[in-house]
Amino acid sequence: MIREITLGQYYQADSVVHRMDPRTKLILTFGYIVSLFLFTNVYVYVCAAVFLLVAVKACKVPFRFIVRGLRTVMVLLFVTVFFNMFLIKGEPLLTVYRFTVTREGLRMAVFTSSRLVMLILGSSIMTLTTTPNNLTDGLESVLKPLKLFKAPVHEMAMMMSIALRFIPILMEETDKIMKAQLARGADFESGNLIKKAKSLVPILVPLFISAFRRANDLGMAMEARCYRGGEGRTKMKPLKYAARDYAAYIYFVIYILLIVVAGNWIPKFW
Amino acid sequence: MGIIKTSKLIFDYIRRDEEGNVEGITRAVDEVSLDIRQGEFVAILGHNGSGKSTFAKHLNAILYPTEGTVLVDGNDTTDDEKIWEIRQCAGMVFQNPDNQIIGQVVEEDVGFGPENMGVPTKEIWERVEESLKAVGMWSYRKHSPNKLSGGQKQRVSIAGVIAMHPKCIVLDEPTAMLDPIGRKEVIRAVRALNDVEKITVILITHNMEEVVHADRIFVMEKGKVCMSGTPKEIFSQVEALQALRLDVPEVTLLAHELRRGGLDVPRGILTRKELVDALVQLSKGKADVE
Repeated sequence: MIREITLGQYYQADSVVHRMDPRTKLILTFGYIVSLFLFTNVYVYVCAAVFLLVAVKACKVPFRFIVRGLRTVMVLLFVTVFFNMFLIKGEPLLTVYRFTVTREGLRMAVFTSSRLVMLILGSSIMTLTTTPNNLTDGLESVLKPLKLFKAPVHEMAMMMSIALRFIPILMEETDKIMKAQLARGADFESGNLIKKAKSLVPILVPLFISAFRRANDLGMAMEARCYRGGEGRTKMKPLKYAARDYAAYIYFVIYILLIVVAGNWIPKFW
Repeated sequence: MGIIKTSKLIFDYIRRDEEGNVEGITRAVDEVSLDIRQGEFVAILGHNGSGKSTFAKHLNAILYPTEGTVLVDGNDTTDDEKIWEIRQCAGMVFQNPDNQIIGQVVEEDVGFGPENMGVPTKEIWERVEESLKAVGMWSYRKHSPNKLSGGQKQRVSIAGVIAMHPKCIVLDEPTAMLDPIGRKEVIRAVRALNDVEKITVILITHNMEEVVHADRIFVMEKGKVCMSGTPKEIFSQVEALQALRLDVPEVTLLAHELRRGGLDVPRGILTRKELVDALVQLSKGKADVE
């Protein structure tokens, strides 16, 4: 039933982007997303697209994998395009029955949708090239300043990595419980949606009980191994910036300079 | 003075109802006084519910005594300031291998303890290497723990504990969830630690085959230590062990039955070799008489 589960959407390959420090990837992705919202100018979008294309080439992940990320936002994309196109008032271009496409509407539709597409593609590159483990490490490190505001950054990261470790174990357990219930005549297949949902109860209850038991055991094992939160903890694999990370930052700074120039000084033609 | 010393250790499980009123008290450990020396291999035997696991959890300051004291390397476990010292000194391996591996890669899991202790990065790597080699799991260091067999997982757990450089390691039924091959692997690793690294081992189990190499055995029943001695002393009392619902190793049982059948086999035979030797001796003696 449940076999070979892939966590996150990591795509195994050997590229500069894969080897980059997770912090670099997180910060740059965030910066890139922000940069997409700074200007509404064709040149800026061309720059952003070029930046993205270079990243796509560098990460050695097949393009179809990256595009796959778009499927989940397809609906949102259509809705955005639709509303922008028909609801923004301005100079009418085309009227069909009671719907009017305006020049401003068309422009906004194109901008917002390309913004959205690039945003998704950009963050896909990050998740495709970083293992969940690495991502957690990176997040912990990047969010460290939030500790000043008493945010439990280390704890959240620890929770995430434990969750990642236990997902396959709990999956296997679900499988086992399901088989046990099937062997006793449980029926998960037939009936309508409500009936199907109800038939999940005999799976979920034992699963929760076992998860709590595991959590209890794990907590004890962690304490027995001197775990006492993030204070005074050292790292076995500390994050270190390498030349490729600085190169990536420089590349990003150049991109930002370009879009600032393009956004502010090159006249809009559209 | 031994590495672990308990005196009149008592522990009560208190059951409460929903309002928090005491419903009943179960005495899990009852006046246990033990003194375990550095470098010893001690086994604690007992069937389910004899209080052996509860006792084990006191040695790592996971549970605190209701009455009596537990001293680990001279530190009282109720002393909050020494708690991390105690936990580092007496490492603990639990029953379920899945529920005690924290890392997603074998080497990361072994590094977890040293990380918590604040060991510098370089030394963590040295410790990880040395501990994984000690349990024979070095070649698996890059693997995901989910892909290992039970015995291998348990050996990783043991490596995770020895990476903290404990003086003593407490194993709470480490083989209960393993198949016979896994059991052998784990016990072999534990014995090597005791022989080579001179780490004090406290093995808690209900499997008799695993304790024949111990220096001393304590048998627990209803929270009390009811028998203690060397494996030979313990296993010569086959009837007493059977009364406690403990299985005696097959060879010991066979020797016992032969003895009851009238053959003059010595008491407390632990290994196949001993039995063979004894039987050869007997037949020789007979030949001499004739």
